[in-house]
Amino acid sequence: MKKTGILFFPAFDWSLGDSHPEREERLLYTQEQLFEEGVLDLPQIKQYSPRVAALKDVLRTQALFPNPEAHRSGLDPHLISAGSSLLLGEAQVKGEIHNGFVMARPPGHHSGATVWGNRGFCSLNNEAILVNDLRARFGKKKIAIVDTDVHHGDGTQDIFYHDPNVLFISLHQDGRTLYPGSGFVNEKGGFNAWDQTLNIPLPPGTGDEGYHYVLENWVLPRLQAFAPDIIINSAGQDNHFTDPLASMNLTAAGYGRITELLQPDLAVLEGGYSIEGALPYVNLAILLALAGEDYHHVREPQKIKRNTVTLAALKPYIQELKRQQEAAKPNLSFQSKPFFPSGNWIYSPHSVYYDTEGFQETRHDYVRECSDCGGTVYIESRKYTEKSILVRIPFQACPSCEQAGYDLWEHLQNSKESFSYGFLQNQLHDTHYVWNRKEGLRKF
Amino acid sequence: MFNRIGIDVGGTYTDAVYITNDQIQHTAKVPTQSKNLVETLMNAFDNLKIQDEQEISQITVSTTLVTNAILQNRIPPVKLFLFSGNGMKVDALPWPVTYTELRGEMDYRGREITSPNEEEWQKLNLADLEDDYSHVAIVGKFSHRNSLHENLLAAYLKEHNPSIRMALGHEWGQSNFYRRSLTTYLNLGVSDLYQQFVQQLQAAVKARNIQAPIFILKADGGSLPLAKIRPIDSIYSGPAASVLAALTQTSPDESSIIVDIGGTTTDIGLALSGVPLLSAKGARIGEFSTLVRSLAVRSIPVGGDSVVRLNDQGVVLENYRLGSAYCLGGGNPTPTDAMRYLQLIDYGDLGLAEEGLGSLLPSEQRTPETLEKLALDIINIVVEKIARAVDSLQREWQEEPAYKVWEVLHPQENKTFKTIVSGGGARGITTALGNRLKTPVQLGAFPEVSNALGAALSKPTFDCTLHLDTYMKQYRVEETGEQGKWTGALRPHREVAGFIEALAQQQAADYGIEVQDMEKEPFDFFPIVQNYQTVGQIVRGAVHVRPGVIGRVQG
Repeated sequence: MKKTGILFFPAFDWSLGDSHPEREERLLYTQEQLFEEGVLDLPQIKQYSPRVAALKDVLRTQALFPNPEAHRSGLDPHLISAGSSLLLGEAQVKGEIHNGFVMARPPGHHSGATVWGNRGFCSLNNEAILVNDLRARFGKKKIAIVDTDVHHGDGTQDIFYHDPNVLFISLHQDGRTLYPGSGFVNEKGGFNAWDQTLNIPLPPGTGDEGYHYVLENWVLPRLQAFAPDIIINSAGQDNHFTDPLASMNLTAAGYGRITELLQPDLAVLEGGYSIEGALPYVNLAILLALAGEDYHHVREPQKIKRNTVTLAALKPYIQELKRQQEAAKPNLSFQSKPFFPSGNWIYSPHSVYYDTEGFQETRHDYVRECSDCGGTVYIESRKYTEKSILVRIPFQACPSCEQAGYDLWEHLQNSKESFSYGFLQNQLHDTHYVWNRKEGLRKF
Repeated sequence: MFNRIGIDVGGTYTDAVYITNDQIQHTAKVPTQSKNLVETLMNAFDNLKIQDEQEISQITVSTTLVTNAILQNRIPPVKLFLFSGNGMKVDALPWPVTYTELRGEMDYRGREITSPNEEEWQKLNLADLEDDYSHVAIVGKFSHRNSLHENLLAAYLKEHNPSIRMALGHEWGQSNFYRRSLTTYLNLGVSDLYQQFVQQLQAAVKARNIQAPIFILKADGGSLPLAKIRPIDSIYSGPAASVLAALTQTSPDESSIIVDIGGTTTDIGLALSGVPLLSAKGARIGEFSTLVRSLAVRSIPVGGDSVVRLNDQGVVLENYRLGSAYCLGGGNPTPTDAMRYLQLIDYGDLGLAEEGLGSLLPSEQRTPETLEKLALDIINIVVEKIARAVDSLQREWQEEPAYKVWEVLHPQENKTFKTIVSGGGARGITTALGNRLKTPVQLGAFPEVSNALGAALSKPTFDCTLHLDTYMKQYRVEETGEQGKWTGALRPHREVAGFIEALAQQQAADYGIEVQDMEKEPFDFFPIVQNYQTVGQIVRGAVHVRPGVIGRVQG
């Protein structure tokens, strides 16, 4: 029998604040609903217990700035959420389960390549950590992430922006109307991974029918063309019509259909804070759909009050969006530092706002242009006056990008430049280092 | 000081034991006459040679009666009405019984979503409820949060026929609509049978002039007065009793692996620091998944009489028996023959054991060396099967789902185990099992009457689990199904500890038991937030008295 794994970790003793949306109560009613339905008694469902991710599992994907120790307090729930994703990922890859649902708090998709703190309720990016674990430990080559949270999965996009072997697709409510304000069609990936990021910003009121139309006519063909080894769904539940912040008008059964269409190998819970009106029903529908059970009888008690865009009105909008997406061309700016190894370095500055704690991260990203691999990445990141630096040698790096990474790393350790910590993320050999002038070198 | 009697009413034999403090005074083993239980029980009492009936402080009985009635499908039909509402399709799970679905739906907070429809009730065919002994079970999804719909239908049917026997699902206050439905159904289905047993038991006790209170052993290894126990809770008291019997031979804080080898089945249990491990899910009996709390016991189809065969891959152990072991006059080689051949046990005929094992080999290969190797292989296979079940039980303990950060960061500590083996072939596998499990092994004493011994020294278990919703002003108690109105604070703090304490004392008084050393689980507080305002709390908490034994016996 094809098994569906469930890892239910509601973190009943943890919140981001008393009346914060990310609070103890968030999955309480989901637990009531799942347990009362007897879902765990379905013969094809197998329940797993959570586990804690190791720091190395995180550092392979995300640089914790200024250094990992600065995050120790408060990181535990996030490490459990990430570790739970890894556990179910491993079960899937080993064939113990056919697919699975990591229904864990806290979420992760706003957390990017560099982490100074919590943003959008996320500190660690569960799916990204999972993806790189599947590559590092199980030799998976091509992985697709489809983010169906109503918010743009900007953290996940940031992590894989230069990675030609990860296809990232995010469907979300248009960034002009919702946090975090990004995820437009022209964001198609870095030059070395052009067109491996697909953003589909949808108008408020899209509804079940419209959403399914976009999946069937845009997302699924793109997935099919990429032919990934594994598909991961960042399953946010805030498209639901009862969501207090967004206005997409999807139903629980609509979510069941999304799952049925995407056929993800793993679904990982993201956001969704209509904890009474949506979560118990949406979680149930997704799990039933994964388990191959009928989800059409899952019906939330409330009725849709907002207007839904008709499919007839939506179709031309989507066609125009698709045309714009296809027409978008890379906007390149070459710039390098005197000590950079040979090659063309593509420069992109940007800033990241950490809403939970209210500060700004300023980033200067440089990527070595390469037609053979994702390219060496060099990121200078600043919070207030503190600066940390990330050097990444990507998965499947070509010899010259690998060498460029070592040269940069060597230079950092001898330079007079002032920065607090340096970080070498060697994905190629899965060894990661943190360096500081006083404390020296530490290996992870 | 205690003088206790333990009785195990099995399908074939009824065992009894009379214990004064830590000394077994007398034991008895009499054939069970299923047509005449009163006489069976009186025989057992007589064999215990009780000097002074007035001295006896308690009689505890474990019985397979209910278990067997369910497994042999000997329960009268129960009409099952369900308020199944929306959600997962009802028939996504296998239902061993028929049911009628009715309109009416509650949500997880116990709020009514759809009210029942009396017109629908009027159209029900109630012809088969005319009988005065009709049984009706009514179960609603989320009825453990709000029993309104169940109560309304019960009142309606009562009007139709006042003598119908009814059971309502919310009396089983745990989550799981499916299991709650089947548990309610079964409990009602076996209630007549159980009442009959109670009467027979009381008649026998009275006839022998014993005044002591009678307790019944439950699946969770605890005992309750016979008038208070829910009949379905008496299933699987046999394996529970054998775990308790082993505990009477350990020191109180020891952790033990308990292996009871029978003819065709071996039961394996686990005790952690003296407390038997409870199963995370309710017991499953036949085709029924229930909410019955039970000890985590693995029963594997391996025993002293299991048939042994040889094929290309080597030794195969069948999961059935065909009569007794070859060395005891049977027709097939078994693990018992292997034990006898290696002289690990002293019963059975040595020559026959050799002949039996030899029959598996071509005649030219029947040398002492090959026979010895074959015998060792057989024992190793038995031990390996037992060891795998032990591993899976230990995994169940260590991998219990955790729902809190604290639980994940504080996993179960490893414990040092001792293994206690009892049953027919126990002596034959002690060394091999100890080597495989890497624990010391102790032979269980009194294997003849171990279930009666476990029953005799059992103690009442007790659980009181509170679910309080201060915003809805409702509280519920899982174990009794009690639903009441909360008049306390919206955000209670100390108050709730006193509240659960009072509920627990009341519940204990209702059971007629004294509870001491209640273990209190820390409360979980869930602030209920609406529009960034905390408007109330859901509070969950529980107190327990864990299963165990009240004394030790000297082997």
